[in-house]
Amino acid sequence: MGRDGIAGLVVLVVSVVLFGLTFRIQSNPLVPVSPAFYPRLVLGATAVLSALMVAIDLVKRRRAGPTPAPAKAAAAKPRYDMVVILFAIFAVYVLVLPYLGFRIGTAAFLAVMQYAMARPRSLRAWIVLALVALVATAATHAMFETYLQVLLPRGRWTDF
Amino acid sequence: MFELLGGALIHILQVKYLLPLFLGTLAGVIGGALPGVTITMTIIVALPFTFGLDPLQGLAAMAGLYVGGSAGGLVTAVLLGIPGTPSTVATTFDGYPMGRKEPGRALWLGIWGSFFGGMLGGVFLIFTTKPLAEFALAFGPWEYFSLFVLALSMVAGLVEASLVKALVSGFIGLIVTVLGNDPMLGGPRLTLGIPFLEGGIPFLPVLIGVFAFAQIMSEVEKSGGAGSMAPPVANAGSLKVSQLKVIWEILSRPFLLIWSAIIGVWIGVLPAIGGSAANIMAYDQAKKFSKHPEKFGTGIPEGIIASEAGNNANVGGSLVTIMAFGIPGDAVTAVMLGAMTIHGIQSGPLFIQQHPDIAYGIFAAYIVAHPIMVLILGLGARFAMRIMTIPKSTLFPIVLVLCVIGAFALDNSMDTVYVLLAFGVIGYLMVKAGFPLAPFILGAILGDQIEINLIRSIMTDPNPMLFITRPISGGLLLASVASVVFSLWQHRRTQRRMAAAAAAPSDEDIADF
Repeated sequence: MGRDGIAGLVVLVVSVVLFGLTFRIQSNPLVPVSPAFYPRLVLGATAVLSALMVAIDLVKRRRAGPTPAPAKAAAAKPRYDMVVILFAIFAVYVLVLPYLGFRIGTAAFLAVMQYAMARPRSLRAWIVLALVALVATAATHAMFETYLQVLLPRGRWTDF
Repeated sequence: MFELLGGALIHILQVKYLLPLFLGTLAGVIGGALPGVTITMTIIVALPFTFGLDPLQGLAAMAGLYVGGSAGGLVTAVLLGIPGTPSTVATTFDGYPMGRKEPGRALWLGIWGSFFGGMLGGVFLIFTTKPLAEFALAFGPWEYFSLFVLALSMVAGLVEASLVKALVSGFIGLIVTVLGNDPMLGGPRLTLGIPFLEGGIPFLPVLIGVFAFAQIMSEVEKSGGAGSMAPPVANAGSLKVSQLKVIWEILSRPFLLIWSAIIGVWIGVLPAIGGSAANIMAYDQAKKFSKHPEKFGTGIPEGIIASEAGNNANVGGSLVTIMAFGIPGDAVTAVMLGAMTIHGIQSGPLFIQQHPDIAYGIFAAYIVAHPIMVLILGLGARFAMRIMTIPKSTLFPIVLVLCVIGAFALDNSMDTVYVLLAFGVIGYLMVKAGFPLAPFILGAILGDQIEINLIRSIMTDPNPMLFITRPISGGLLLASVASVVFSLWQHRRTQRRMAAAAAAPSDEDIADF
């Protein structure tokens, strides 16, 4: 099964599971149309379309026959490892933000992200990294809290 | 109308509104000039800055950002040969060859082309929004439902991916809206045991997460996050040029300018196609109508004027759709729609009647943004080139922090930030799976309205034939079927052409012998 087939299958499973859950939605006797009506319509149509996606993929692959192993491309390999690392750093940032607070959490996040994306190789680069983390945090905090009256998260552990 | 517009122009020229408009335009120009940073991402980053402003200030900033962003991409397109945004791809075709010889002329042809194209788009915006909104007032729930179905089917049909995949993407967007909340009665449904979902999923963090992460992670994939957005420029040459001469070069080609603007506006009105198609189609049309099409691509003014007039007129068209029908023309107007909702303004046919001050304020901001854009690009082109050398490792983390602030500030809750993270992952996976994002976003935005209008129509009269027998509703549904059939036909034609092209080289080889 190709990329489209797998993607279609995932959507199909999710829509079928959610479709099943619509039977737990309670109807309101005062309203003639159940709150489950529209979700069932949407989820049913999604299931049909995603099944069609899987079928098209299977038919295409069968018609094309066995595909030869792709030649190694000269282009640079996608850095999926870096994508996973950055998602993980962001997830940790989001999860610790309520505990550390915006200022500490964001300064740490900016420093770690910069380090992960381009490791500093000189003292100057380290100083730039630290300055970017501190100045960007201070500037966004001042701008939003002071001038735009947007309250940013306070840390439960740090109260800062 | 002219009285209201005049009043709005005077209003918008006050420092209170002019400053956010200027800053929005500046941010748009910078974001547009940065290759790899789209207007959508720029507007997402700028969104939290508008929360503390009054509605017109915030929307003026966004209008400026949209105008600035649409034009900003031409700086790199002309001087580096790298389109700053996808909507300046065609500008590079003639802009860069001319920019290597006469950088000042190429840049200013682009700037003034954007200006005149944008102003023509503004004429359309001002004169058609009200009549279209009045026409939409005659709509009942059947017509609205059919209109939203048309919007979704058009988007699904017009994106490059396969029709089925685009439709699945649109339906995934609709699924987002069925989770958690019944918009008719306000009761919980399909909450998956998550208390936060009882209020439904707010669409702005969905939009921010999907677009910001899809773009940033795609860039990270390429280089691991190292390097800058564009190579440093040694010397862009002299940018000085006779302004009158450049303006005359444009105005002496009125058909080219007007036709490019019409194409831009028309593409802007159609949901979710965007400036890139306007830019390329206007260029393509200019080439087809030209007496010397063979010169296109060598650095001729027509190529720059058409492409830039097209993509800036597109902005006017997109704004018409959101202001008259409440349907976002593209991702940028989708964010604007979200910003309106945050400020308690419901866009749609009643918007111009209920909030004429804001509607005409947006028109005025759109008009005033154009001379500001000319000023910023004229004075700051060299500065913008320097900003492009900011490393991605500095830029992207700051963008993500601004996304977090934008999501958090929606209701001062971390829950919306978790939604941002979840849809960041989902958006990235969707891109990797080849799902187009435009139908997904439109589905997520229109889902509630589709449900409300469908249920209202059934509750008013359960006869389903009314969707077909009511003339406007039937016409709209017919148009959506036509749109799907057209896209199927177009897809088949493209496949046939590709197959023919694959066979063509061997024929040419034979001919060469």
